[in-house]
Amino acid sequence: MTAATPALEIKGLQKSFAGVRAIRDLSFTVPKGHATALIGPNGAGKTTVFNLVSGVYGIDAGSIHVNGTDITRMPSRQRIRSGVARSFQNIRLMGHLSVLENLLVGQHVRASSLCALITPYRLIPNHKWKREARRALEESGLGQYADETVGALPYGVRKRIDLVRATLAGANVLMLDEPAAGLNPSETNALRDHLKALIASGLTLLVVEHDMHFVDSICENVVVLNFGEKIAEGPLSVVRKDPKVREAYIGSDEE
Amino acid sequence: MSGYLTGVLVVLAFNVMAAYAVYLPMAAGQLNLGIAGFMAVGAYAAAYLTNEMMWPMWMAIPIGSAAAGLVGILIGIPVLRTHGIYLALATFALGQVIAAIFLNLEVVGGAAGYPVTEFASPYVVFAAAIGVTLFMVLLSRTRYALYLTAVKSDPTVADLMGISVRGIQVSAFALGAAVAGFGGAFYAHHYNFIEAQHFSVLLSVYTVLYVLFGGTQTVWGPLVGAAFFTLVPELLRASEQWRYALFAMFIIVFMALRPQGLITASLFRIFRRRPKAAAGTEAQGKGASA
Amino acid sequence: MLTQQIINGLMLGAIYMLVAVAFTLAIGVLNFLNFSIPGLFMLGGVATFGFLKMGWPFLLAAAGALFIAALVSLLVERLAYRRMKEGDADVPLVSSLGFLVLLENLVLIRYGSDQQAFPALFPDMNLRVGGLVIGIVQLVSMAISLGLVAWLSWFLRTTNAGRRIRTVAENRETAMLMGINIERLVPQLFVCSALLAALAGLLFAINYQQVTPFMGEGIGFKAVAAMIIGGMGSIWGAVIGGLLIGLAEVLSVSFIGADVVNITVYGLLLVILILRPQGLLGRPPAREKL
Repeated sequence: MTAATPALEIKGLQKSFAGVRAIRDLSFTVPKGHATALIGPNGAGKTTVFNLVSGVYGIDAGSIHVNGTDITRMPSRQRIRSGVARSFQNIRLMGHLSVLENLLVGQHVRASSLCALITPYRLIPNHKWKREARRALEESGLGQYADETVGALPYGVRKRIDLVRATLAGANVLMLDEPAAGLNPSETNALRDHLKALIASGLTLLVVEHDMHFVDSICENVVVLNFGEKIAEGPLSVVRKDPKVREAYIGSDEE
Repeated sequence: MSGYLTGVLVVLAFNVMAAYAVYLPMAAGQLNLGIAGFMAVGAYAAAYLTNEMMWPMWMAIPIGSAAAGLVGILIGIPVLRTHGIYLALATFALGQVIAAIFLNLEVVGGAAGYPVTEFASPYVVFAAAIGVTLFMVLLSRTRYALYLTAVKSDPTVADLMGISVRGIQVSAFALGAAVAGFGGAFYAHHYNFIEAQHFSVLLSVYTVLYVLFGGTQTVWGPLVGAAFFTLVPELLRASEQWRYALFAMFIIVFMALRPQGLITASLFRIFRRRPKAAAGTEAQGKGASA
Repeated sequence: MLTQQIINGLMLGAIYMLVAVAFTLAIGVLNFLNFSIPGLFMLGGVATFGFLKMGWPFLLAAAGALFIAALVSLLVERLAYRRMKEGDADVPLVSSLGFLVLLENLVLIRYGSDQQAFPALFPDMNLRVGGLVIGIVQLVSMAISLGLVAWLSWFLRTTNAGRRIRTVAENRETAMLMGINIERLVPQLFVCSALLAALAGLLFAINYQQVTPFMGEGIGFKAVAAMIIGGMGSIWGAVIGGLLIGLAEVLSVSFIGADVVNITVYGLLLVILILRPQGLLGRPPAREKL
């Protein structure tokens, strides 16, 4: 694996649902250590791309490489081990577990030995897994929620916990599905700082997001999807002027 | 200890073991309506070993439990392809088939029942129940228990987090079967007689009822459920029929009012909140400086 | 001999068929595995028996029994089904099992656990066709069962009310958007399925001239097997499954022995659940979306 190997490389991706072509011959790469945005009007297939990369659905044709490893035929369960983790648009946290417990689930890939599985960590005060999860929460300014039941927390907090959980898998590529959706301005600022810190620490981000100011402040490159097809790629300032992109957004008022 | 009290406590011990056998797979989202079948496997296997092979009890009982666990793995692998109602029905059918097989197995007495020679004293039974409880409490403090809940509440996300959903499901099913077999093996050696009719669907159903009554979110729920089911009717001095009728009525009303069960995780967190708040900030301070 | 056994099997199968249709209505439309149905089946027989003992004329006694079963079913709807949205998905199933246990034990307290002789209401007349003996009563009750199921199927297919029910079965949200009053429809379905089950219990009591508190279990649980084998939610599937189970039972009793019935019936259920959970006529279950 050389420095030139892209973190995520998608080639000729095809996917149909019941005869409807959701993704058509999609190819793009996400360079290491940078943030790339996946944008497009509603229903363009952005979340579907995440689902195909994480293996929720099998693909019809094409290939997916993560850090140079071909994960096209890999079972969904093993993909996170190849270095790609994700968050969810509709926050999929386990509602009646505590915040800390949800984060511990996120650590699984790095703690999957039989020994880690049957260590009664809850009886050991300040066990390293709990300590690490707490620290991750602290760093994103959510430390006070560690022992709360997730289901009872406000939307913005849950959204950000979903993100923290994705970071704990130790993956170097994070796919974030609308991380800023539903956040208030101060939460959005905190999120921006958090993501910048993640990029600075060497992580690669692929972000689906509707808030173009947010995209502009984080991502160097954008890939624009419409009806499952890539219609433009490049820096946001350039892509913005592309007539095809303007056309795709007509009626839905850019941003 | 009076004979009466000992008798009640022995019943409690067996109910606690049965409750944990139901609880384990249920924590992973599986409703096992055939747990009595696995008790029968443990009971008959252990009894056969002490009766016919002259094994000592302390060897026969773990092997009986392991036999039930093995049956759990072998059957769990195909049966756990089904979910929800289908799984509940499959385990239900399974319990019926296992009981019917022992009913027809002449080598262990068939329909006439099977007398068992070795005797396990009440204290041995108490020790077994306490052992099972301690094991379950310890297990509930591990990542394994956390993954059971994760697989139950969102199998898709658990899978994407890299957890082997199928491995967790099959192991929970088999471990529950092994605990059932453990209890069954002690049952055989305490009462010195087993018959296939005892391991009926209703035995499974009662067990499921009191586990759900206690609540499945924490490891204490089954214990409370079993204790309630065993002790309260004794205190009321109710007859056998009134005991079940009252309990059923109670379950129905209770499930309508509090479907999550008596003991829940958030209940514990409310109790723990205050002392934890101080300890929490301290730990966070350490974490930040490290 | 074989033909005679086949006829007997179909007669018994007709009873299973009615109960299986009762189950399939609850599960196909409401997605509720209603385990109180065996209890309602038993009520149909036992309550008629009780009223007859009080000196009521047969038709009044039968109507009274059906009325009681319908009332109990409404209670099940109130206390078990309505709570479905909260808590575990298994809670309504378990609550309905609670109802089964309650009904059985209440009847047990009233009439004891012994088998009670149900009076012979009709003169024992038989048709003899070339060495075959066919009881007139059995023939009439089979005709009633088949007629009722055929009518129900016609009703669901062609009437407006039937279309509404099928819409709810397809998709609750769509049904609600179309302005179908689900709040009213659900209790009606519960009554309908209770009447089917209780009528089956009544026919069973008349045909076999006996009632016990536990008569619902054997029949009701096998009817569940029949429903699954035919395909959940399909009326004609329940018919085929019911007749198949009736045949399998009578044939295995006469050719292998009474004790293996449970192995054949529930073994068949287990195999179907693993290999083809949608049954013979059912559609495959829908998959989860992310």
